[in-house]
Amino acid sequence: MSSPAIVAKDITVRFRPMVDRNPTLRRSIGRMRHRETQELVALDGVDLTINKGEAFGIIGRNGAGKSTFLRVMARTLKPDEGSVNVYGKTSTLLQLGVGFNVQLSGRRNILLGGLAAGLRKSEIDEKYDSIVEYAGLEYAIDRPVRTYSSGMFSRLAFAVGMALEPNILLLDEVLAVGDESFRNKSMDTMRELLAKAGTIVFVSHALPNVAEFCDRVMWLEAGKVRMIGEASAVVEAYQTAVQEAR
Amino acid sequence: MFSAVRTYVSDLWARREFAWYLAMGNLKARNASTSFGLLWWVINPLLLGSVYWVVFGILFDRGTLELTRGGEFYELSFLAYLLSGMFPFFFTQSAMTGGVNSIVSNTKLLANLHFPRLILPIAALVESSVGFVTSMGVFFLIVGPINGIWPGPWTLWLFPVMLIHLLFNFGLSTIVARVAVPFRDLNNLVPYFTRLWLYMSPVIYEASFLEGKGELVERMFRLNPLFPILELYRHALTGVDIDLASSLLAATGWAVVLSTLGVAWFVKYEGKMARYL
Repeated sequence: MSSPAIVAKDITVRFRPMVDRNPTLRRSIGRMRHRETQELVALDGVDLTINKGEAFGIIGRNGAGKSTFLRVMARTLKPDEGSVNVYGKTSTLLQLGVGFNVQLSGRRNILLGGLAAGLRKSEIDEKYDSIVEYAGLEYAIDRPVRTYSSGMFSRLAFAVGMALEPNILLLDEVLAVGDESFRNKSMDTMRELLAKAGTIVFVSHALPNVAEFCDRVMWLEAGKVRMIGEASAVVEAYQTAVQEAR
Repeated sequence: MFSAVRTYVSDLWARREFAWYLAMGNLKARNASTSFGLLWWVINPLLLGSVYWVVFGILFDRGTLELTRGGEFYELSFLAYLLSGMFPFFFTQSAMTGGVNSIVSNTKLLANLHFPRLILPIAALVESSVGFVTSMGVFFLIVGPINGIWPGPWTLWLFPVMLIHLLFNFGLSTIVARVAVPFRDLNNLVPYFTRLWLYMSPVIYEASFLEGKGELVERMFRLNPLFPILELYRHALTGVDIDLASSLLAATGWAVVLSTLGVAWFVKYEGKMARYL
């Protein structure tokens, strides 16, 4: 049962935001004059194994390194130290509508988003009808996506993300997608994924959702693991700490 | 090392549809948002060409150029000469502009998905290539009726020449794409650089214009990689005689060296790109 889906070893990520963010000539000159640049440690030696079939939550304050950790797992950010191994087909929903071009129709964006996520055109063509049906957008599929409401946009993006049929799903605060009925539908899809020994990792500030949905939770604080364990226990400890800090 | 290259190339090949539809999507979006759409690929170099036509063709009255074709004396109209250089030059210019923006304008893709980043400059190049191929057809539509210059046997050279030019532009766009990630200022410099490059290339003047400007100057201007490339286009489009062998050699050399170095430099930097978003 507990074969690993994601093994992260000693992940450390450092940013130098002053210089790296927007290194214009002026700041480059500033750097030459030895202006101090603060190094920001986003993740500091995070060790973690996530198993197949597990729903894993990541909580913590803003800036604790949650999203950075997801990016490392999605392999879009190479850590300064440590390694991450991911076993399975990964779909990342860190932001919705990646690869979309809002000037173009929903139909065209299913193709673009699917290709960006790693599907082939033939696979997308095959799944096209079910994607549209899942998103419930049959009536608007030939309209430019810029004319969609934000709920419609999210539904389309989520449907495209799920079309990859991932074994591993990385989510960043996108659970609150669409209206009530679509939210239920997306929860059902994710439970199906878990039942098929899939893995879901998600970052959220909606603590009740995390406690209810996840098996285990990691609490990050200032880039370090504060606590990993059974979901409700970690969420409770986190809530207590937040209240005490007030 | 060798197996890493092979893995990268096969990753890239597996994502070829992504590059193609990304480029087509951008073209389509542009078509949808402007009145003239794809026509701008033709209108742009045409307007550019007519500006220089007004200045040099009319004000400076360049008239015709006395050249040879097939070893015989041949009078080439300045308009044909200008456009046969301006359209290819515009291809390099738009490849550069597209390359500069290819990474920095796709931050959302970079932050979220793992794929060979080379896809992005390739897609930008596909986009500008579509326009260039269109403009090659337009070249004959203009100079055919006006100057009586139609495709001939020499026009077959157009295919290898375009391939070499494409490879050169590819190398160039990967380099500027990579530089623009940590150094966004490049975006501001490109227009000045391309204008200087235009004046340093045989677009509004012919190669013989450099004679008597001093050996050093002539040698410097001939080092310009667009020099042999534009010479080759001249031959392919109008049939005038050039030193075919040496131009081919120089152009191919530039293209191979620049694309090899550019791609290697770009790929080596890929892992760091997400940090600059």
